[in-house]
Amino acid sequence: MPRWTILTPVLMSLLGCWQSDPEPAPATAHDGTLRKVTLQLNWYPEAEHGGFYAALENGYYRDEGLDVTILRGGADVPVVQKVAAGQADFGIENADRILLMRAQEADVVAVLAPMQTSPRCLMVHEIANVASFADLKGVTIAMNAGEPFAQFLLKKSLPNDVQVVPYTGGVSHFLRDDKHAQQGYSFSEPFLAEEQGTDPKVLLVAEAGFNPYTSCLFTRDELADEEPSLVRKMVSASVKGWKDYLASPNATNAAIHNLNPEMSLDILAFGAEAMRPLCSPEGQESQPFGRMTAERWQNLAQQMIDTGVLEPKTVDPAKAFRAEFLPSDSPE
Amino acid sequence: MSKLAKTSLPPIAALLLVVAAWQACERMFDPPKYLLPSPLEVVSAILKDPGKLVRATWRTAIAAVAALAISIVAGTLTGLLFSQSALLRRSLYPYAIFLQTVPIIAVAPLIVLWLGYGTASIVTVAVIISLFPVITAATAGLTHLDPLLVDFFTLHHASRWQTLWKLRLPTAVPSIITGAKTSSGLAVIGAIVGEFFTGYGTNDYGLGFLIRVTADQSRTAELFAAVLASTALGVMIFAAVSSAGAVILNRWYDPAH
Repeated sequence: MPRWTILTPVLMSLLGCWQSDPEPAPATAHDGTLRKVTLQLNWYPEAEHGGFYAALENGYYRDEGLDVTILRGGADVPVVQKVAAGQADFGIENADRILLMRAQEADVVAVLAPMQTSPRCLMVHEIANVASFADLKGVTIAMNAGEPFAQFLLKKSLPNDVQVVPYTGGVSHFLRDDKHAQQGYSFSEPFLAEEQGTDPKVLLVAEAGFNPYTSCLFTRDELADEEPSLVRKMVSASVKGWKDYLASPNATNAAIHNLNPEMSLDILAFGAEAMRPLCSPEGQESQPFGRMTAERWQNLAQQMIDTGVLEPKTVDPAKAFRAEFLPSDSPE
Repeated sequence: MSKLAKTSLPPIAALLLVVAAWQACERMFDPPKYLLPSPLEVVSAILKDPGKLVRATWRTAIAAVAALAISIVAGTLTGLLFSQSALLRRSLYPYAIFLQTVPIIAVAPLIVLWLGYGTASIVTVAVIISLFPVITAATAGLTHLDPLLVDFFTLHHASRWQTLWKLRLPTAVPSIITGAKTSSGLAVIGAIVGEFFTGYGTNDYGLGFLIRVTADQSRTAELFAAVLASTALGVMIFAAVSSAGAVILNRWYDPAH
């Protein structure tokens, strides 16, 4: 997902919009009306957002007194900036970007991590006979070299003679060339490549050791401080939605397909299926859904510092997440 | 006041005013870094590794200048062709407009697919963006002639070649220069867009790549630094084309000479 759009909020802020934070309203209004809440996605609606759509479709947000509007993302939407500036209440973003943005004084905090294992991968051709990242000698890799995962791979896992080129979306280069690898999400690009008649193999970046929580629900510090009950309701309804989605995704997938016809029902079904082990990894089934630990946040920050993506001492990983809003009794 | 001071003082004063206003905004509103870094932060981002910025600017400059040169030559040749036949002009000019209207963001990945990663793709994208103004300017200059002079050439039985070489081309030079000036900024933008989609290789990069990487890592101050370098590059190439144009116009077109 390209994000060249940092300038947009600058312009908006110069026009005076950043002072336009809506007055905080109580989580459940006394007259029985629903509290309006916006949730800003990090991309166009897709399987990655399935649990949040399930919570909306099944009325779990309404049950909590919330009138949630889910806003589509895209290359033109700076998610963290919007939430930090109060233009949206909640957002979806990966843990590494939350750390990067906190280092830029965006006071946001992750409150739920649906995907425990990152789907970020390099996709290679089965025929290229590659078993691990270290085998990618002489291969051309299309990836956004600036992304933290790419810096991690370049500095820790890949051989020195790989050729890195920008990733511009799609899978066309991959289809053309057996010696080509590209970045992707394990539940998306491999499906497209297979549909086009190639035999892709997935190397998960998480298996190389870089595993940021993915598609985290986050909000700004201010909202978490001032309206903890609102955040708790949002988190608990979202957890319910995610459990529903992973158990039976079809109805929600139809709703997502309606909003984003580019996503076929087939790829959504494939996505939901492939996400299940990412959301509750083997051996962790008894853990509460969406939990986050200080060790993993600390470890992620350290990896980003070690690979030069994050300046040391610019961000305190312990403040980047709050596990207190998770429902206490929600094992799988 | 000397001529240099007269031309350079007003823009410098305007720049200082903008920077002062920027710093004042920082003071008054204290926006977080991700919204707007202070001028001081941008300067320190530049000074942290000036070599990197200079190398990237140089790489982009080479691609932009190559594209501009190709555009000037190809645009002028196209204009010459169009000036020779009204039928040719009417049949092909609408397609030249395609260059202007094609959504380059959509086409650039295809160009990379056809021409591969590297300089060729970057220059091609930059040419597509910067060619059209030269074609229009050259065609206009080569066809809008003084009717009296055309009659004069006809009366003296000038050949097609003589008319082209002695009348059309000299008449067209000022407008070709104007076209080139418009294209100079576009060539830089084209090179940067090209670099967004294709790289030069792992350890060699231009401003487009730098803009993308700093945006990917949310390093706002460094992003501003790269954007400033792009702007400066555009201004420098424009200034070079303008000066070259001024010399030509002064030497051959100033009635005082």
